[in-house]
Amino acid sequence: MMQYVVRRLLLLIPVIITILLITFLMKALIPTDAVTAMYRGQLSEKDAAQAIATLRAKYHLDLPWYQQFFFYVGDLLHGNFGESIRLRRPVIDEIGYRYVNTILLTGLALAIALIFGLTTGILAAARRNTWLDVTATTIGLFGISMPAFFFGLLLILVFSVWLRLLPVVPHGPIAILLPAFALGAIEAAPLSQVARSSMIDVLRRDYIQAARARGQSEMALIFRHALPNALIVVLTVVGLQIGNLLGGAFIVETIFSWHGIGELAVNAIQWRDFALTQAIILISAATYLVINLVADIVYAWLDPRVELLS
Amino acid sequence: MLNRRQFTLASGTALAGLILTSSGRSFAQDEKVARLRLPIDPEGLYNVQSISLVVSDVLGNYLLESLVYLDEKGQAQPWLAQSWEPSADGKVITFKLKNGKTFHDGTPFNAAAVKFHFDTVLNPNSASPSKAMISALEHVETPDDMTVVFSFSKPFAPFLNLLGLSYFGFNSPTAVKAAGSAYARHPVGTGPFMFSNWVLGTSIELVRYPDFKQYRPDAKNQGPAYLDRVILTVLAEEGVVASALQTGELQAAQLTADAVQPLQGDSQYHIINDQNAKNLMFIEFDYKKPPFDDKAFRQAISYAIDRQAVLAAAFGGNGKIALGPLSRGIPGYDDSVAQKYGTPFDAEKAKALLDAAGWKENGGLRAKGNMAAKFTVRSYADSTTERALAVIQANLADIGIQVDVSTADWGTFYPGLLTPAWDMDLNRWTWPDPNVMSQLFRSPGHRQLLPANAAIDGALDASDTALDPAKRMQFVSDAQKAILEDRLILPLLTDWPITVVRNELQGYRLDFLGRLYTSDLQIAG
Repeated sequence: MMQYVVRRLLLLIPVIITILLITFLMKALIPTDAVTAMYRGQLSEKDAAQAIATLRAKYHLDLPWYQQFFFYVGDLLHGNFGESIRLRRPVIDEIGYRYVNTILLTGLALAIALIFGLTTGILAAARRNTWLDVTATTIGLFGISMPAFFFGLLLILVFSVWLRLLPVVPHGPIAILLPAFALGAIEAAPLSQVARSSMIDVLRRDYIQAARARGQSEMALIFRHALPNALIVVLTVVGLQIGNLLGGAFIVETIFSWHGIGELAVNAIQWRDFALTQAIILISAATYLVINLVADIVYAWLDPRVELLS
Repeated sequence: MLNRRQFTLASGTALAGLILTSSGRSFAQDEKVARLRLPIDPEGLYNVQSISLVVSDVLGNYLLESLVYLDEKGQAQPWLAQSWEPSADGKVITFKLKNGKTFHDGTPFNAAAVKFHFDTVLNPNSASPSKAMISALEHVETPDDMTVVFSFSKPFAPFLNLLGLSYFGFNSPTAVKAAGSAYARHPVGTGPFMFSNWVLGTSIELVRYPDFKQYRPDAKNQGPAYLDRVILTVLAEEGVVASALQTGELQAAQLTADAVQPLQGDSQYHIINDQNAKNLMFIEFDYKKPPFDDKAFRQAISYAIDRQAVLAAAFGGNGKIALGPLSRGIPGYDDSVAQKYGTPFDAEKAKALLDAAGWKENGGLRAKGNMAAKFTVRSYADSTTERALAVIQANLADIGIQVDVSTADWGTFYPGLLTPAWDMDLNRWTWPDPNVMSQLFRSPGHRQLLPANAAIDGALDASDTALDPAKRMQFVSDAQKAILEDRLILPLLTDWPITVVRNELQGYRLDFLGRLYTSDLQIAG
């Protein structure tokens, strides 16, 4: 087990180096940098040439991309993510609290997705082909088809403008509820569908029939015998969906002014603030890889047939 | 590891805790608080380091004051300055300062504070974006506590107008030196409000400066601000901003025409257009490439665009069409020149001019010799430019010219201008001084494409060095005429930024440079 975890963690290194290389190559293709973007529409470049040159030299932007790459990796190995050109502050100061915010948001969204997804999925499977099943499946379809930005605005309209239950302007921890719900509800839909089909599949198995023949109650059948086995499939989907959640957070954070790394990433890209963009990409990628590793471990823990070191 | 029941219990407790601890900030009952929108979180509130719009707004409206302000005619008037006097050769300007101002931290405002600001801007280590705006400034001296002497490498006429911008508002030297690189998070000025608190990415809180003295006679309130507190809330999404205006969580917000539309006609808001806006949307050409090197062709195209339709499509009609090369909001805009030498929409005239220049129509597309009238026009990606381009494309198709349009984000579009890979571009500039024309049209121009033109270059150089305002404005008029006569620009329109204000917020008024009279703001009830 330990050996497996260490091996997976070591695999992160080549993956991260590849990600770094790809982003540096992309950067080389973009015809402008943060310094030019700072002067957006204010003055012609020739008159600001001296200030631009000073800034470029300071951030090594005047070097070819591969030299910049070595500078960057060198700094990174010293635990230095660099300085944001736009904000004139160390990148890590800006990302730290935002990363916590994003994790809180995606964590709560995942919890909401699981609660709604599993409940509706299980109910739909247990009461298959009834009005309950049809309603749950229809709502699920809406959820899958609904773009996050539209759903987000709809939630604000209903809960903030009409019902006046929650503030539009985020302040205090309660502000997390609407974005988490927007993000979670959308992810709940595919979870619900997977839970439903997986439950239906399990409920058809012989051991369930046998348990039913022994006179087990329907509740015990579903929750004690069928659910643990159905959950294994759901878990696989959850592992994959965390990537969606992180991606969806980029949109939802912007709509709800939830100050996570997604919102920052959108700005950083527009500003061509490369140190910032790079750090966000790195942290997101590492998070995704670690979460997948955790999902794999939990998977093996739930299903003894799965061997980690095969 | 947690078992299932423990996990449920733990997550339930965490969620409940989250909701229970969410006590909204409350203020004393009688406290007057206004909440306004910021479109993005400022990168740092230090004008030496940043010239972005949001930074200028926060600093210029609430925290900092300048040596001069521009009155409703665009004339510089004394603010923190008492008076000024240029030397005979125009290379030196001496300012006398008003007495009795102190920064929020108690530091007196004096000549040393002025010199400190300009010295910091000029210092190459600051890499200040505002340095290039005052490139002719060489050094600043302080013969006594209330006198500042600016010395230039050549007479620099735009200086007075530029001094009115928040880029040249003053920070407490004590605070800047004490805070070092952290200063941009704790600005200290002389303005009607003091910096109080900044929740990164969320909001900036300002409180009234109780000892504030108003040195601008054009403000209605000559004492400290009426409001106790201002909360600037960062909200990016316009749909969300509109909702926050509806619930009263925001009292004022600048919005685009699209987002304003659903709120228009609702009696709980009033809508304020900044009719002194200093932007100009225009089309410029690749002056080196045929047929755009030919004035007759540029002239023909200039008559083909229905500016009113562009204004309606791109800005919902919020603005005014432009015939001159200078925005109406800039001092020196000469309407008589614009009317006389401009090219109002006249498709028939455009066709006749093309016919006369030898562009023959064949199946809806014109050609001259073996050159077909097929061109590209580019712009930066934005809903306004995209809609404007759609109208322009249709207008040009009507006179037999086919254009392909494409947009890219600013960071791609703008540097691309310097490598001429296309024929025309749709652009928009904002600048408060007529020297914007020198940036664009003084040969070789900002795209390095313009041939020398004695009439234009001469008038622009004269207008940039004439310190006498009346003489300067004559040169500015001459430059507008020469630029229009050579058809160097196809001016389209000036759009007016729109602010939606809830009725309980009173006294929302902008000055000539778009600075808000924040000490006049009041909350009714």
